[in-house]
Amino acid sequence: MGDYKKMWQDLNMDIEKHDILCEALPEQFGDIYLTQENRPEAMNYFNYVVAEIHGARIMELEKYKKEGGKVVGTFCVFVPDEVILATKAIGVGLCSGSQFWIEDGEKILPRNICPLVKAFTGAKIGLTCPYFQSCDMIVGETTCDAKKKAWEIMDEYIPVHVMELPQMKREKNIKQWEDEIRIFINRMEELTGNKVTIESLKKGIDICNGKRKALKRMYDLRKNTPSPISGLDALLVSQVAFSDDPERFIEKTEELCDELEERVKELKPNGKKRIMVTGTPMALPNWKLHSIVEGLNAEIVVEETCTGTRYFENEVSTEGDTIDELVRNMAERYMDINCACFTPNEGRVEDIIKYVDEYNVDGVIYYNLSFCHTYAIEYEKIAKALKEEDIPLLKIETDYSEEDTGQIKTRVEAFLEMI
Amino acid sequence: MAKHYILFPNYSQGLKLEVLLKQNNIKYVISPTPRKLSTSCGISIMYNKKDEEVIKDIIDKNSVEIKGLFTIE
Ligand code: SF4
Ligand code: SF4
Repeated sequence: MGDYKKMWQDLNMDIEKHDILCEALPEQFGDIYLTQENRPEAMNYFNYVVAEIHGARIMELEKYKKEGGKVVGTFCVFVPDEVILATKAIGVGLCSGSQFWIEDGEKILPRNICPLVKAFTGAKIGLTCPYFQSCDMIVGETTCDAKKKAWEIMDEYIPVHVMELPQMKREKNIKQWEDEIRIFINRMEELTGNKVTIESLKKGIDICNGKRKALKRMYDLRKNTPSPISGLDALLVSQVAFSDDPERFIEKTEELCDELEERVKELKPNGKKRIMVTGTPMALPNWKLHSIVEGLNAEIVVEETCTGTRYFENEVSTEGDTIDELVRNMAERYMDINCACFTPNEGRVEDIIKYVDEYNVDGVIYYNLSFCHTYAIEYEKIAKALKEEDIPLLKIETDYSEEDTGQIKTRVEAFLEMI
Repeated sequence: MAKHYILFPNYSQGLKLEVLLKQNNIKYVISPTPRKLSTSCGISIMYNKKDEEVIKDIIDKNSVEIKGLFTIE
């Protein structure tokens, strides 16, 4: 296929090391994704994105930069993409879902922090992620201690802008987040030389809402029994949402949904257990839990995670005639996300119970990346609430390595038998 | 089971063939290029053996540039 070596060299990448990563992907993707039976044809687009993940998309970014455009990297669903779009920059959610980067991450970080943080740090310092290499700046947030401190290290390698996310949801906290969005607007204007106008911000909001609508439509289709799309495929679509061109992504996801709508008419019950996954995000290419669960007699029909419902639920209102009003609308929408970094975080319990009903779920798997404390602690509350409702729950705490795959499989198997 | 792939010199040729296959109602799967076939990454197209002749025809008629058709056992 296309020769990307020159491009990667220009991006100052460690070509040899990067090659080890490239070597593993086709096989891993083939084994997990292409062996699924009866996949929607529209998934071809998403296959394309994965196959070209270090090729075509990076070429687009490089081209944009040559024309004077800017690229910023993000790691969390709180970073307002609307602002990035309004300053004509491209935002890419950086995938940090591979074991490959952990080793480099552990060179400068303690071992006992979450794999996501170790992976993104490793990807940067090991010079093996072309997205990172393309970024003019990355945008961090203070959602957890691991990330908060990792930005300081990261800042030695690439300019970092950190947004301070309040940890409570009182009116003064929402105001504080409004302020952070304003500061972010200034920083993005400086970086790009483009002023945010009421029109450009409204357009940014429209595009982001379009993405949310498309994802929501796909999730609504998963409410059918059986779901017209596997959890693995749906997860891939969500993961791609973070780094793909937003308008193209919307178009392709709507196409997929059109196909799924047709499928729904013909599907017959398959007797598979319907599972909800709740917990920490699954960044590309973390397909571990989904491939284990769907390798058994079950389908994952909803993810209450940041690579799931938390990413697309609720839209930003475009009502208003001033930038300040739009900023307020954004702050309200973002502060409605029920991340475990908040205290208290009652909304998450309510969401989970609501989704069990909406998606006709038989059992819930609580997925926790190892050493993610907020989510690990919040487990107790969720467990209690689900118990009261008589909803079966299984907790899986794991990282990106393959070592515990067999053990997780056994536990999920036992869980499925029980429900 | 044997799998059949078409490789391309760049992804735009791959996408060009994709459109043509779709128009002709031929089933295919876009896939990352297997390592066994090429060390540079990017897309390839997996097809069914029974469609091979028709696909070759389409490639010729529309002058799609390809690196070749390959089979992995
Ligand atoms: S879990 Fe919380 S911190 Fe992590 S990506 Fe989601 S919102 Fe951000
Ligand atoms: S999974 Fe938890 S520990 Fe890891 S980055 Fe997200 S919030 Fe922090």
